[in-house]
Amino acid sequence: MKKSEPDLQEPAWNQAELLERVDNDRELLRELLTIFKEDFPRTICSLEAAVSSGDLKRSGLLSHTLKGMLLNLGGARAAAAAARLEELATAGEIAALKGALDALECEAGKLLPELDAYMTEVRH
Amino acid sequence: MKILVADDEALSRRMLERALERAGYEVTCVENGKQALEHLCKPDGPRLALLDWVMPELDGPGVCRAVRTRSEHTYVYIVLLTSKGSKEEIVLGLESGADDYLTKPFNAEELRARLRVGERILLLEDRLVEARENMRFRATHDPLTSLLNRGAVMDLLARELHRSYREQKSTAILLGDVDHFKRVNDTLGHVVGDEVLVEIASRLLASVRSYDFVGRYGGEEFLVVLNSCDPAFAPARAEAIRKSVANRPIQTAKGPVSLTMSFGVLLSADWGPRPVEEFLHDVDTALYRAKDAGRDCLRIAKPDAKAEASHVSLPQPARRAH
Repeated sequence: MKKSEPDLQEPAWNQAELLERVDNDRELLRELLTIFKEDFPRTICSLEAAVSSGDLKRSGLLSHTLKGMLLNLGGARAAAAAARLEELATAGEIAALKGALDALECEAGKLLPELDAYMTEVRH
Repeated sequence: MKILVADDEALSRRMLERALERAGYEVTCVENGKQALEHLCKPDGPRLALLDWVMPELDGPGVCRAVRTRSEHTYVYIVLLTSKGSKEEIVLGLESGADDYLTKPFNAEELRARLRVGERILLLEDRLVEARENMRFRATHDPLTSLLNRGAVMDLLARELHRSYREQKSTAILLGDVDHFKRVNDTLGHVVGDEVLVEIASRLLASVRSYDFVGRYGGEEFLVVLNSCDPAFAPARAEAIRKSVANRPIQTAKGPVSLTMSFGVLLSADWGPRPVEEFLHDVDTALYRAKDAGRDCLRIAKPDAKAEASHVSLPQPARRAH
């Protein structure tokens, strides 16, 4: 399996691993999720625009940013999809970008509900 | 300890900030490489830095290269943060001047352990700098009075004379000798003699401006260099310096000791460009005249007095009656 391919054994969101990395600081975790909920849609929106206009440099930069964001948050599968998109943009594979973006959005679609569920759970 | 975090991604920034605050660091966060460089270039800026690799304005390796060109500044220990994983990329990051790298997603414990390595390196640097500065101080200062030693004050005088000639200003050279100092040593002992010299050094230093020089020229001889000193005011300034010693007794372990000083004074504007040794010879002659005139006074060296002085059979400084 290539490094940037999603590992299907991985959960969409590895909450336990993230909690360990932040010293079990649940308050910080909630803060991080809030930041993510604000930044992720904005960045993915910019990425969609870059991909549809064929802007390879910007597509590469934005997918790199998303990769870091997702890795930090414990979303390894979506991060791998972002990494794949970054690789394609760097390699100039303009035709493959749209498919890779769809794959990323698909993984994000699995991750976001888990984050929302956690936020709802801790709110109550 | 201060630490700089530079990352364009808010989530990563907040995670790092929290982990570092928890470890007791004083954290400053910025969003791009340009801001990072500005902070790291400040005189009291952070000496530890965590830089994201990919950033707007200037990337992490770019910041590293810019920081490393400032060789005169204190060392900054830099850890690059990267989600780039290949060996080539890591080598590139380290070659740019980073000390270490950390792969995202980082583990808080590993992050702190790597920063402790950085702190050890910085501590080592501090100790080396301190040792170097101590050696430099010892090589240029008198161990008793902490004034500049003879070699150092003469070097500075030579430099100052060049500068004042170039800028058409005047440097005042004062060579002072403590009157009857031998009596202090003979009657009160060398420990009190040393106390006296330390106090005189302190008074001379206190009576000049921060950019003037005071050095210990010999046993009880002191050289004072007044930079950019208006010749019209130089005699009055020299007189004030002389009085700073004579005005009040010096407190010693064996009671107060009243002492005076004699000074030879020379204003470089009165003379053309010449070697520093010749200036010192003439100011020494003027000091001898002050001694000859009864001590506790000053005499000013003049070019036209040189011929007259040279006819007198002068004792050399070492043979001068103190």
